[in-house]
Amino acid sequence: MSVVIFLLLRLAPGNIVDILFSTGGYVSDADKKLIMQELGLDKPVWAQYVEWIRNMATGDLGKSYRYDVPAWQVIKPLIPVTIELAVLSTIVAVLIGVPTGVISAVRQDTVFDYALRIFSLAGLSMPSFWLGMVIILALAAWLGWVPPMTYVGVREDFKIHAVQFLLPALAVGYRSSALITRITRSAMLEVLREDYVRTAWAKGQSEGAVVWRHALTNALLPVVTVIGIEFAFLIGGLVVTETVFNLPGVARFLVQAILWRDYPIVQTLVMFIAIVVVLSNLFVDLLYGWLDPRVRYSG
Amino acid sequence: MPRLRPIVVLAAVCVLTAAIVATPAISQTPKSGGVLTVMQREDLPQGFAILETSTISSVWPSMPCFSNLVIFDPLKKQESVDTVIGELAEKWSWQDTYRNLVFFLRKGVKWHDGQPFTSKDVKYTFDMLRETPDAAGKLRINPRKDWYANVEAVEAAEPHTVVFRLKKPQPSLLLMLASGYSPIYAAHVPAATYRTTCVGTGPFKVKEWKKAEYVEFVKNPDYFIKGRPYLDGLKYIPIPERGTKFAALQAGRLDVAFPGDATKTIAEQVTKAEPRIKATITGQNVNDNLLLNVTKPPFNNVKLRQAFSLAIDRRGVVQSVHQGGAAVGASMAPKPFGVWGMLDKDLASLPGYGKAADEKAKAKKLLAEAGHGPSNPLKVELATRAIPQYLDFASFVINELKQVGVEATLKQIETAQWHPLATRKEFQAGPNLTGIGIDDPDANYFENWACGSPRNYGGYCNEQIMKMIEAQSQELDAKKRLAMVIEIQKKLEADAGRPTIAWRQDYYLQWQHVKNLIPHQSIYNWGRMQEVWLDK
Repeated sequence: MSVVIFLLLRLAPGNIVDILFSTGGYVSDADKKLIMQELGLDKPVWAQYVEWIRNMATGDLGKSYRYDVPAWQVIKPLIPVTIELAVLSTIVAVLIGVPTGVISAVRQDTVFDYALRIFSLAGLSMPSFWLGMVIILALAAWLGWVPPMTYVGVREDFKIHAVQFLLPALAVGYRSSALITRITRSAMLEVLREDYVRTAWAKGQSEGAVVWRHALTNALLPVVTVIGIEFAFLIGGLVVTETVFNLPGVARFLVQAILWRDYPIVQTLVMFIAIVVVLSNLFVDLLYGWLDPRVRYSG
Repeated sequence: MPRLRPIVVLAAVCVLTAAIVATPAISQTPKSGGVLTVMQREDLPQGFAILETSTISSVWPSMPCFSNLVIFDPLKKQESVDTVIGELAEKWSWQDTYRNLVFFLRKGVKWHDGQPFTSKDVKYTFDMLRETPDAAGKLRINPRKDWYANVEAVEAAEPHTVVFRLKKPQPSLLLMLASGYSPIYAAHVPAATYRTTCVGTGPFKVKEWKKAEYVEFVKNPDYFIKGRPYLDGLKYIPIPERGTKFAALQAGRLDVAFPGDATKTIAEQVTKAEPRIKATITGQNVNDNLLLNVTKPPFNNVKLRQAFSLAIDRRGVVQSVHQGGAAVGASMAPKPFGVWGMLDKDLASLPGYGKAADEKAKAKKLLAEAGHGPSNPLKVELATRAIPQYLDFASFVINELKQVGVEATLKQIETAQWHPLATRKEFQAGPNLTGIGIDDPDANYFENWACGSPRNYGGYCNEQIMKMIEAQSQELDAKKRLAMVIEIQKKLEADAGRPTIAWRQDYYLQWQHVKNLIPHQSIYNWGRMQEVWLDK
């Protein structure tokens, strides 16, 4: 993974020195050489890679080329913002997606089903950044109010913090919920036709018990997989939402860092995203075992 | 003597009273306090290191920290030699027929870290900018070295006197020193430090720069102008997304916009939705131009250059690309905002400025003379930066060229690659944007048109025009100089070395409660904020 990240970045045309000169509107080859030396970019790529890995192993993530401060110092405050937004969006997605999927399956081919399917199809068709932009513009036009443009900490003002995160979480969560709705519905439809569900109905169990306890528990496996994938995707995929709501998160910053060819920042952020994806998949795998005893490994 | 009717007298009294009541803005007493929230286009590209950058994204949020020797009066909207006022220099004097410029510095000025400011700091700054062999500091990138090419020496014989010795007279030097691009750095602070923080003598001190989130300033209690600044602080908030930033302004999360960011259409929408936000129309000193690589075919052929210049309908660019938010002008910013621009009647006589159909017919004729027609169309690749401001303009240019039979294709160049490509002259033609620090012929011509200048991307070099540029630079009589500059503009347009197509206008947006923030005709020079106050 580290090799791929490292090499792909170097394959992109231009580097930080070119960008620096762009802000100056000219290029001086002699000065360019000096800055390349200063940043260690004059060394062969393999030597840069070895140095990066060696420094990573000792906890040194390098220095941001753009900001001239340690990369970790720049990245550290961004991580909680993105994690919080991704978690909240996932919660919103689950809260909307699972119940609507269940209701849609239980009330198959009724007006409810059709309405909920249209609702979920609309979610899939609407990019979250578009929805976010509509929310911002509508708030400004109708209420003359928009969320704060700088990050408000949870201890600073809980209410404002909640609003600042809930609006983007709604925009992102709605899109993710659409996928969850569709997966939940199809999984539920399959499970509802199983013999044990028919037996549960025959035993006279309440609808709630049959649907939510017996059927949903068994239909959850594919849903959990989708939730896991969506969460992992959100960590790196919140670029436009963070930009629209001006939230100082990882994704928005990553794009800026790529545009600036700020290698230490990009490499660290991509590694962070990769780690989150691995951990999130691991968590989903562990969840399988808890949800379905058949999946557990025997000693 | 005829007697006035009572009704006339009453009307006159009413008009007078109304006039007095209607001018409170002029007579209002400034109030101290408050924090101004300011729109910022992007996070600071290179911190507060103004001397190492050429972008408004750095100058705008860094200016409040610094002071210059002199500055353009923040309360006057048009910058010129008459609006230059002292800043760190209490007064100045031209001597030896404009060969020596002597500055008498303020006493008792302190840097934000408490160190005293002296003439050594001035010498340190300008030696570093000029890259003299004995300079105590070095800039990583030095985009404006050419501004000071005529300075022979900077002498700091006494702690509060500095002498700029020039190779030849250059009245414009004072204007360059008044630009937002010419702050004085502290000699005791390494130049690299300014990339992360700011030690200046300006009205505001850096409180915190939270990367990608905000830059916060607090009032400098030791500021050398008593009673200034009025504000307690400033907060610059980078908001890259255009829709979000103007929604934030409309909703009151921001007090003022970023210079040059609001188009005419946006300004109209925002002021209609929120009448308490006002738009001030002014120049930007930024123009759309067409780079032509004159160092190789086909544009070493003047006829083809002229054909390209004639083919592009300048008024069409103003209407289509800028929705009316720009003005037609030659190589100096047009009036009424610019000082050196040509009058409309003079402009009309220049090639490319007449009726579009007539000019296109002339272009076709020139192309035919150069051997290009329907059977042998001229094929050209246009290179431009892959960002919307450039692409909109480039698309228009391609369409215009098509109308005269030129087959133009567009090559989009990523920002990182644009300047290396332009500097190496690895292009044929390129729709381009050029921002000029100050509205002055020296700043523009020596930077963008002079033979050998690194920012003369097309490599245009005309010895005769170069002599004219040198001559206007040394001319001491303002009227004569203006006449010389008009002549240069005519010749440059006729030679079509780098046709100027349109000058962008700014529709600067700010809430009515913000007072004394007056946009100038160049976006780079009015961000000091020491006179700004809030009426709320």
